[in-house]
Amino acid sequence: MIEVHELAKEYRTGGRAVRAVDGVSFAVGDGEMVGLLGGNGAGKTTTMRILATLLRPTSGTARVAGRDVRDDPIGVRRHLGYVSTTTGVPDRLTPREVLDSFARLHGLDRSAIAARIGGLAESLDLGAFLDRPCGRLSSGQRQRVSLGRALVHDPPVLVLDEPTSALDVLGSRDLFGLLAGLQADGRTILVSTHRLHEIEHRCDRFLVIDAGRIVAEGSRETLVAGRPGGLEEAFFATIGRGDAP
Amino acid sequence: MIPSAPTGGWPARLAIARRDLVEFVRDRRALFITLVMPMAMYPLLALSSTLGIRTAILELDRRQEAEQLVLAFSGEDAEAFGIRIGSLASRSAGRPADWPDTIAMRIFDADEALAIIDEGVADAWIAIPRGSIARLDGEGTLPLEVRLSTVRPPDRRVKEHVLTVLRGVADEVRLARLQRAGLPASLIEPLRIDFTGDRPAASGSAVREILPTAIAAVLVLLALLTATGAFYPAIDAIAGEKERGTIETLLIAPCSAFDIVAGKFLAVFAVTLATLVANAVSIALTTTVLGRFLPAGMVGGLPLGDALACAAVTLVAYVGLAAVAAALCLTVTAASKSAKEAQNTLTPVVMLIAALAGSALLPGSEGHRWLPAVPFAGQVAVARSMLSTLHERADAPSKAAADALPTPVGLGAGLAISVASSAAFTWLLLLVTASLVSNEEILFRGPDTAIRGFRRPPPRSRPTPGQGLAVVLMGFAALWYAQGLAPEEFVPALLIQQAVAVLLPLLAIAWWQRVDARDAFALRRPADSPLGTTAACAGGVLVGVGIFFAGAAAALAFWQDEISPEARRFAGQIVELVCGGPAWRAVLILAVMPAVCEELLFRGWVLSAFTGDHPSRRRAVIAVVAQAAAFAAFHLLPERMPQTFLMGLALGGMTLATRSILPAIVAHAAHNATPVLLVARSAAADLEAADGMGAAGLPPWAVMAAIGCLIAGGGLLAASRRGSPEKASWT
Repeated sequence: MIEVHELAKEYRTGGRAVRAVDGVSFAVGDGEMVGLLGGNGAGKTTTMRILATLLRPTSGTARVAGRDVRDDPIGVRRHLGYVSTTTGVPDRLTPREVLDSFARLHGLDRSAIAARIGGLAESLDLGAFLDRPCGRLSSGQRQRVSLGRALVHDPPVLVLDEPTSALDVLGSRDLFGLLAGLQADGRTILVSTHRLHEIEHRCDRFLVIDAGRIVAEGSRETLVAGRPGGLEEAFFATIGRGDAP
Repeated sequence: MIPSAPTGGWPARLAIARRDLVEFVRDRRALFITLVMPMAMYPLLALSSTLGIRTAILELDRRQEAEQLVLAFSGEDAEAFGIRIGSLASRSAGRPADWPDTIAMRIFDADEALAIIDEGVADAWIAIPRGSIARLDGEGTLPLEVRLSTVRPPDRRVKEHVLTVLRGVADEVRLARLQRAGLPASLIEPLRIDFTGDRPAASGSAVREILPTAIAAVLVLLALLTATGAFYPAIDAIAGEKERGTIETLLIAPCSAFDIVAGKFLAVFAVTLATLVANAVSIALTTTVLGRFLPAGMVGGLPLGDALACAAVTLVAYVGLAAVAAALCLTVTAASKSAKEAQNTLTPVVMLIAALAGSALLPGSEGHRWLPAVPFAGQVAVARSMLSTLHERADAPSKAAADALPTPVGLGAGLAISVASSAAFTWLLLLVTASLVSNEEILFRGPDTAIRGFRRPPPRSRPTPGQGLAVVLMGFAALWYAQGLAPEEFVPALLIQQAVAVLLPLLAIAWWQRVDARDAFALRRPADSPLGTTAACAGGVLVGVGIFFAGAAAALAFWQDEISPEARRFAGQIVELVCGGPAWRAVLILAVMPAVCEELLFRGWVLSAFTGDHPSRRRAVIAVVAQAAAFAAFHLLPERMPQTFLMGLALGGMTLATRSILPAIVAHAAHNATPVLLVARSAAADLEAADGMGAAGLPPWAVMAAIGCLIAGGGLLAASRRGSPEKASWT
């Protein structure tokens, strides 16, 4: 599971300190899929990068599968699958090579690697392009490879930062279908997106972040609370832009 | 299914290296430029230069071997004059030394002779008018005008040969006149000199003159091209990953940043090694082909065993060079956001590598004990030394002469120093790269800084590592120009060097980057209370004095009398300055001014650049070592580098511990002022006595006092921080 308590991250830009994340606390339980919603610069990516151990928190704590991101970053990485805003797939390698190299980095032995790649090719439907250079794949195919790379060590926790930003509607639907399957396997999933409509009926709960703070938290029903505009209207109301067109 | 096997270490490094190598091999353009280009370049270079080399060698050999003098005569007594020269030439003894091997003589009328000379058919034309022979046989002086050909290639030996021939004729006439006067020939020959043991000039001896230069040029070229082999893979390995957005996924692999950097280093190193091998193979093949076009002896002058030994030593030394080049290129690209930015930053680095490699050819550098430790220069020096020695051994006239040359064991020490130095530099650079690659600011900062154009950036707390190094590089360039432009007098030159090489670049870049001077230069009091500040300054004084005596003792013990002429000249200038004016003036110029300027640069700017906004213990160590290395290199003289490096470490640690530059400035000033005050207090006789002390070293009490100063100084510095709420803390 993911546990975040009073997490803060401060950057220095232009000679002044900017708190990108300012006292965020939340938890995502085992087998739960939670959506992290927020506009540009709200603090979503910074929070996820802290969880992925790419950034060090200025204060507060964050734990992934019981490991603290500050004290045991290697332990966190072994239990976490992370998909960044960019697909993070090298153009000149094939999906098989991408999965193979990350499996090696996670300490899998040769027979386990072959079995794991076979399993991921089947579950993520990579078989048709497993040996084609990633540079020649479509955005949807690349995103599948990226997800495969995040899953290669079979982590219990997945953090996905705007995984649908480069996908069309079909690709987005397919991806959330895959995530639903992973959630059904008992994985903890934290996913962020701008496109509220595509996540509205997929997540168990939502966290709304604005100016580095969690401003609302709860299930779709709790947040929408009868608003006809659904989650989108609830989101704008929560961040104080309810009158926006 | 999380694997229980430990992650990281060599399996992770090899996995990353394999991944990067596969990526690089699939980039056909980079592969072509890195590996195939050198194979094509050497033949092209050889083809374009072969004709010139061949002509130069043949011309040199022609001059050193058989020489023919072509003389044109005109005038009515020309034939008789020619007969006299011919008679002289036909004798085997009694001829002047340096007589030309053959003399061709032709007789023309004046107009024809002029035409012949203008066409370059003859070397010289001499008019011998009627009555010339009668004047020679009498007692008069015959005036002769010799017109040299302006068309033939300029050769000063033609003039010497004409003079030799005419002097021979004059000697004959002189002897005849003495005989007629009844005087002995010895009257005009008080000395007779015969040279013996002079080896005859062998065919191909010009090769011996050209060969060392040609070998040195090829070694520098090999160093440069080997280093450029790291250029593209290094850009692709880190800056390219950032540009493609793949670095984040790599950084969340369960291994340390050092493992990632080490894996990438292995890939870049492998490509650089492949470039080295491609270059070496191309050189070997080109040399073989050249052997067919160049005169005998130019190629293949060494026995096979020696040639193989040379190749082995060169390759081992250059493997170290390849490692340093790969690590250096990675370090530079790790600080870049995009491939283009990395390319721009690497270009001056390649120039720096070329300059370092070329510096191994500077006059006087050959044979310097510690030159092999200098990256890029050392490897060239080792290979050059090995080749030169084996060539000299092969050319030695006797076994005794060959045995007097440096032995392979002696050369092996240079190779060992070079390899050890390469390993140390590589390791250090990889540590810096690991620190940079996971640096949040570099990893996630905004777009490529190049797109900002010439607008000043927004204000910031501290400089970046790149900006830290940029000032040092600008300082080196300024130091170079200042040496040429500054006046010869010591004091103005010193003032200009400090101003141009240290202060100006520092102030310019600090102003441009809008850094917070308090953070960037550690402009704080070392302690909250006046007593604490006084204790810190007193500690600085003791540490400075202690470092001076400890460093002097170590330097005297280590270098003994092997002080370079530059170091002796520098010491002499200091003594002259101290003895030539009031002591306060010398202290101001030699102690206070350098202490302020250099501390602001190294313990201020460079140290804060490497520690960054979020210092960790590891970054602090890297920062202290990096600024100490830059500080040592800045002092140029190899004898001073170990001492200045250790001093840099001590002052860097002191600045980080006290969070203030003040104790370091005080310590530096005390360090420099100590010898000034010692010299000022000594009479000339004492100085001579002190000079004699060099070989024996400092007395034991001085060494003990130095250690005492260091301990007491450290204690005072620690005490000054006691109770201070703003203590340095590293995670």
